[in-house]
Amino acid sequence: MQRTVIKRDGSEERFRTQEIINAIFEIIKGMAVEDDYELVFRIIKELDLKVPERVTTEELDVLVLKAIEHLIPKHPVYDTLATLQLLKLINKRVGRQFSSFSQYLKFNIETGYLKEDLVQFDLKTIEKAIDYDNDRLLDYFGLTTLRDRYLSKDREQEVIEKPQWFFMRVALGIGTTEDEVIAIYNKMSRLEYLHSTPTLFNSGTNVSQYSSCYVNVVDDSLQSITDKLTETAFLAKYAGGVGTDISRVRATGSHIHSLNAKSSGVIPFIKVFDTMVNSIQQGGRRRSSQVISIQPWHYDIETFLELRETTGNAYFRTPSLNTKLWMPDEMMKRIEKDEPVYLFDPGECPELVEAVGDDFSNKYHKRIQQAEAGELKLFKKLSGRDFYKKYLFKLAKTGHPWLTFKDAHNRHNPCPQYGIINSSNLCTEIAIPNNPESTAVCTLASVNLARHINADKTDFNWTQLESTIQIIVRALDNVLDKNYYPSEASKRNTMDLRPLGIGMMGFAEALVQLKIAYDSSQAVEVAQKLGQFFREKAYGTSEQLAKEKGAFPHYEAVRKAGKAYAYPARRNAVLLAIAPTATISIIAGTTSSIDSYFSNLYSRDTLSGKYIVINKRLIEDLEIKGLWNDEIADAIKSNNGSVQTIEALRGKIDVNLYKTTYEVHPKRQIDLAAAFQETVDQAVSKSIYIDEQLRAEMEDIYLYAWKKQLKSTYYCFIDKVIKGEKYTSEVNKRGSRKGFGRQKLATPDSRLKNDSPDGLKTIELEARAKFGDELVDEVKKGNQETCPTDPLLAKLCPSCE
Amino acid sequence: MNAKLIGRTSVRDNIKLSENPSYPVFRELYEKQKKAIWFPEELNIQQDALDYHHLSVEEKDLFDTAVGYFSSSELLVQNVLVNAFFPLLTDPHAKMSFSTQLFMENIHSDFFESVLQSFGMDHAAMYDVAFSDPFLRKKQSLIVEEIDKISYGKIDPETLEGQKQVLRAILLNNIVLEGIFFYSSFAHFFAMKEMGKMKNVASGVELILIDESLHLQNGIEAILIILDESPDIVEDEAFVEEMRSIILKGLQLELDYIRSKFGQRSLLGMSYPELEKYLKYITDRRLVELGFDPEFNIHENPLRFLQKEDVKKLINFFEVSSTEYTNY
Repeated sequence: MQRTVIKRDGSEERFRTQEIINAIFEIIKGMAVEDDYELVFRIIKELDLKVPERVTTEELDVLVLKAIEHLIPKHPVYDTLATLQLLKLINKRVGRQFSSFSQYLKFNIETGYLKEDLVQFDLKTIEKAIDYDNDRLLDYFGLTTLRDRYLSKDREQEVIEKPQWFFMRVALGIGTTEDEVIAIYNKMSRLEYLHSTPTLFNSGTNVSQYSSCYVNVVDDSLQSITDKLTETAFLAKYAGGVGTDISRVRATGSHIHSLNAKSSGVIPFIKVFDTMVNSIQQGGRRRSSQVISIQPWHYDIETFLELRETTGNAYFRTPSLNTKLWMPDEMMKRIEKDEPVYLFDPGECPELVEAVGDDFSNKYHKRIQQAEAGELKLFKKLSGRDFYKKYLFKLAKTGHPWLTFKDAHNRHNPCPQYGIINSSNLCTEIAIPNNPESTAVCTLASVNLARHINADKTDFNWTQLESTIQIIVRALDNVLDKNYYPSEASKRNTMDLRPLGIGMMGFAEALVQLKIAYDSSQAVEVAQKLGQFFREKAYGTSEQLAKEKGAFPHYEAVRKAGKAYAYPARRNAVLLAIAPTATISIIAGTTSSIDSYFSNLYSRDTLSGKYIVINKRLIEDLEIKGLWNDEIADAIKSNNGSVQTIEALRGKIDVNLYKTTYEVHPKRQIDLAAAFQETVDQAVSKSIYIDEQLRAEMEDIYLYAWKKQLKSTYYCFIDKVIKGEKYTSEVNKRGSRKGFGRQKLATPDSRLKNDSPDGLKTIELEARAKFGDELVDEVKKGNQETCPTDPLLAKLCPSCE
Repeated sequence: MNAKLIGRTSVRDNIKLSENPSYPVFRELYEKQKKAIWFPEELNIQQDALDYHHLSVEEKDLFDTAVGYFSSSELLVQNVLVNAFFPLLTDPHAKMSFSTQLFMENIHSDFFESVLQSFGMDHAAMYDVAFSDPFLRKKQSLIVEEIDKISYGKIDPETLEGQKQVLRAILLNNIVLEGIFFYSSFAHFFAMKEMGKMKNVASGVELILIDESLHLQNGIEAILIILDESPDIVEDEAFVEEMRSIILKGLQLELDYIRSKFGQRSLLGMSYPELEKYLKYITDRRLVELGFDPEFNIHENPLRFLQKEDVKKLINFFEVSSTEYTNY
């Protein structure tokens, strides 16, 4: 096939493979590649199929990139190669427009995109601090995410920022001196920590909205509902996630005095939020989103549980909202003991909303007595266990509502005189006192633990970690004063409390580097130690800051009123919050938050498309031992990313280090979150991953989370049972049946051998010889308590098949 | 003649489920399909509206045609099952499995209907596309004309000839239409998602892929059972050869269609040569599944991005509709 390349100027020339080959060799230069010819050959083979008869040079660039990208699951070297190719494209394009960082700054200040005060710094010093070699720390998924959503673009949607310029632009928007700017830049460009997405989007620009999350509270009046609707709209517009507590709004059938009529309850108002948030979430770089939080003694709770169902009355369904329960201990105790729970109308029993702990229990008991004595207009009595079971069924089916704990949040409230914590944010890691007049705000940053390991990989680099934490405290505290607050209520809360949210990511990757299994008790100890260290260093810096700039205003206010808090003065009411780090962990190229590796091979859907993620640490480990090859790669793929049962790896590597999320028992996941929660002053956002086999244990698992004093649980993931036919690996659906194959062709297809009854018979004979008839018969019947761990026996076990 | 999967039935027959089903595989497939059930409302297709208006002319054409083709084809499958095939099924478990498939086809049709409405596409033109596009018309006619031959009681399923005709119909419907034609268009949607476009629609198509792979298995099982129960069919070498050539004819029509869409250029990072190889790879799989020898001996799927459909998926819920929850 004769192929033609159409160049930028419209001229045409013959497509020559040699030119592409040369270009690829150019990228490889300087990389330590074992067999570069083999590598180039593979890419060219891939590319050859892709190139159509007529192709433009732009198209060709993309196709070369795609060809390399598709080989990424084969070996990490393709990841590096794809990253370099993409970097080349980005830097080339931006370089055509701007010759230097300073020129880029000045141009964009003129267009009104960047803030004028960025040039207050000595630009020569700043320019010199930029280290383009740090580009190489990015991996392909991270770089594409940066390009598609984080790097600034002009109106034609062309990228106008090199990756290193992006890190520097963000640092300039946060630091107050050259030294501080450069310290922040260095840490971020080395991926040692990253600010949260809104900060990365907006820092330094004229949309100075740095915060990730807001938590507002709706009062029981039409005025408050419409006010909060307006506030939410503006908070959402600037890409913040909004948590909204709706527990105060009276229930269906409650009496409205001004109209002398009955209320239609809280649900129709929630529907209004759903419609609004859906209308705002389109178009931006990130969908804005909202979670509605309610205390589960609310009379309308049963309808609330159904909000995320997809069938039924459309007016009672909220597909665009997230939902969560703000669960008091009293109700968990009743559920545990299988005592009844009572539902009340907050219009009739308003005192329950703000009561916490024993105070709540007393007030709840009093209402129960009144209810039983027939003195309440609205109430409902349900079996605690049945209610809990129904709730968990909805959770498993729709993923909502999440379970968060009211009393665990309030037990550690550092500012009870300011108010109670009325609910947490969208991602369930924020715990800041708030009320209808004061909307909690949190500005987040997360340390990448995987980049804080010492050189001989025996421990964390504690000195480096300390400096990172110190820089973050100061950086985030700066942000509070530079931030734009979309509402008065949110500004008030921040200015009173100055809350920060320092979290972490890469915990699982760090554990692999330290050769500690994620579900071991040693991992729990590491978590405790890390948590204590974070707390000590963050608080130390904040106390230092209080000396320099003063304590948070509410602290001073109560001190002056003679009701001082018992702790030493610090700049910030709260400092720690472990966020899910969904997207920034992709940029940092590490595992998210404190989660384990989702799988050793999986795909990730994001706004920029779909990406394959492989566990590079595992491949590194296999490569060193000479075990990484196409067969192992295929085996991992056909095992859905698990390495636990791959025979060829047994005894060769420590497979316990590479357990995937669903292979870690949910209780071990909870243990780790609980270990961090001991010292984290806000909350730990922890999704729970439950294997389908353990679904029956859900009641137990969530009771355990409560008993371990977690403040929050986030998404509940249940491994999906039914999957599509494998698209890219062989599947045998015919078994040993002949189908259209005729008698004379009786030899079975060689690829189908393993699953044929003959193959099974051989395995069975082998197993009988090894383990004796009795055991084999037991296994074959499948009525053993647990499935056999021996791979030979597992092949015979009906439930393992 | 002993009881067979395909035969003459009346409403009085087979209205009891046996604890020991004659065809346990259909009970199993029913269970699997039940667990896969989903509803179009779970996907926020509206989110893709902006994307849709930013597709290039060629991309939009490819997308529209694929949606239009699926819209009418899902109903075509439904009609084939109801009119031609279902009346001849003798086994209650098989009936449950195939009627679940029927239900799922409705869901798919409902889904594509909501796609049509969400983006303001030309409703009538889209449903007509399967017959107004000359290449799609050939594909559609191949199915429709064969099915007409066995509809309205035109055949006697108790005869060998009747069994063969039913077999041909299932082969066309479940293997050629659902197993080759559909798989071709699936790749177009996934390529869009790969480029970060129309992600929520593609999430729906991911769910459809799961369903269709189960439907494909319904078809394969039915064919293998018919062949097993009527060994005489395989003795007729001319018939066996004809079945093989129907599959290959289906492939040829699909390739003609792809050629008409892709021509000499690349679209969504794909071009004709790799799609041709992909379809040959898929066709080989279908042949081998039915016991034929492969025609092309292609052992690797050239569309490597499709391996993303094979591995576990992690989704950021704020960004893309999830396909990982189960309604059961």
